[in-house]
Amino acid sequence: MTKPKASEPPVNRLLALLSSRDNAALRPHLERLPLDYKQSLYRADKPVDFVYFIEAGVGSLVNTMANGQAAEVGTIGNEGIVGLPIVLGDDQAPTAVYVQVPGSGLRMKASLFKRELARSPTMQVVMLRYVHALFNQVAQSAACNHFHSLEQRCCRWLLMTRDRMDSDKFLLTQEFLAMMLGVQRPGVSIAAGGLQRAGLINYSRGNVAILDGVGLKKRSCECYGVSKREFDRLLGV
Amino acid sequence: MRELPSRYEEHFLSPVNQKTIRNRILAALPAQEFALIEGSLTRTDLHLGETLHLAGAKIEQVYFPEIGFISAMAVLSDGSPIEIGLIGAEGAAGVAVLLGAKTSYSETMCQTAGAAHRMSVEALNRAIGEAPHLRDLLLKYIHAFHVQVAQTAACNAHHEVSQRLARWLLAAHDRSGVPELSLTQDLIAVMLGVRRATVSIAAGMLQKAGVIRYQHGRITIIDRIGLENAACECYSVVVSEYRNLLGIDPAVVAAEHLPMSPA
Repeated sequence: MTKPKASEPPVNRLLALLSSRDNAALRPHLERLPLDYKQSLYRADKPVDFVYFIEAGVGSLVNTMANGQAAEVGTIGNEGIVGLPIVLGDDQAPTAVYVQVPGSGLRMKASLFKRELARSPTMQVVMLRYVHALFNQVAQSAACNHFHSLEQRCCRWLLMTRDRMDSDKFLLTQEFLAMMLGVQRPGVSIAAGGLQRAGLINYSRGNVAILDGVGLKKRSCECYGVSKREFDRLLGV
Repeated sequence: MRELPSRYEEHFLSPVNQKTIRNRILAALPAQEFALIEGSLTRTDLHLGETLHLAGAKIEQVYFPEIGFISAMAVLSDGSPIEIGLIGAEGAAGVAVLLGAKTSYSETMCQTAGAAHRMSVEALNRAIGEAPHLRDLLLKYIHAFHVQVAQTAACNAHHEVSQRLARWLLAAHDRSGVPELSLTQDLIAVMLGVRRATVSIAAGMLQKAGVIRYQHGRITIIDRIGLENAACECYSVVVSEYRNLLGIDPAVVAAEHLPMSPA
């Protein structure tokens, strides 16, 4: 693990929105570490020990149903903070966060982050703005999951992941995609297969390559654009 | 039915007294914080079907329900609404202003006739700097509401309409504080994002199972346990989380007739 240097501008875009003073307050407590596929950043109904600022890679907010099936309710990349309960003054939540696309990030002890947050109204404003953007993304998912087709939702999630990876190529296992869409794996094959046949993506052995972003947006439901506009507006990211 | 317009009612009603307030956030405030906002609180009627916030519109007022409950709905670009959460006397509507929001993401609509205290966003923003308990309570409530919405997102991907209907009836019943709900199938259909016929069939099944009685637009829950069994786990997950996060049950708050003592 390494520590971020004062000389380097923050890679995480939410940290980049903080004042230099707020960044300086967090920096001594932050350590950089790799984020491995399926690593749990915090578990459902367990205290959040660390907050994370993803620099590369993507995290999934996941609710687990009674039958054991997982459902993704939100996506976090380098635009946000992993640790929403802490920002709102709680210790835990029934949602877990797993690393969906491996990468790296900064983490700090939740207790220390809480302390720094309490000391800085300017930090609170920025963090709460992110909470609002994430909240709206999850709310949009509630509507999307009911109204829109599997294929549309697949397009949406692929585009959201791409935005956060800042790359057209990324690792996304069928297992994870199935979870994001709330289906079994055959459902993923069908959805992804359709997009592949249309020349929009290439998806093989867990590797996604987006070939036609414009086409993918056209096939997506409006929920992709709605969430993106919200994030851009609220966070200028 | 009310004969006087709402603003006359507001003048005639007695001044706000924390000891008789049911809304759990307002009731839980320390006396000095309540005193700070007391002058900004206006008691208002909630009318069945009344829209309090429009999706995308500026949030002007924050509402703290006393009696009855409010639905928050996501609205698609073609106007299709779907409920994302219910707000009763355990919470408040319009609270996104604490996150820096100027406009409302969701549409909020009164599901029942009732009453609330409202407060302008300006007044809330003015008070919040000197009212840390109010701020904490509102942020914790935002978290609890978020948990409800996240569970709904997962539920909408996985569960059948009959389970979702049962879940909704339980959550609505909890917050209505009355044994009988007066709800039309049309309204429930809008909340669940399905056609009326679909609700009819699902409600028919619940009636056949002896779990509800549905007559002349009124739903009576006959067998609560039976209804809980018919619902997906999402109902009890949210109840349990509200208990963990807020220390209360929405059902208990709504049913309470005794004044709550302030913290």
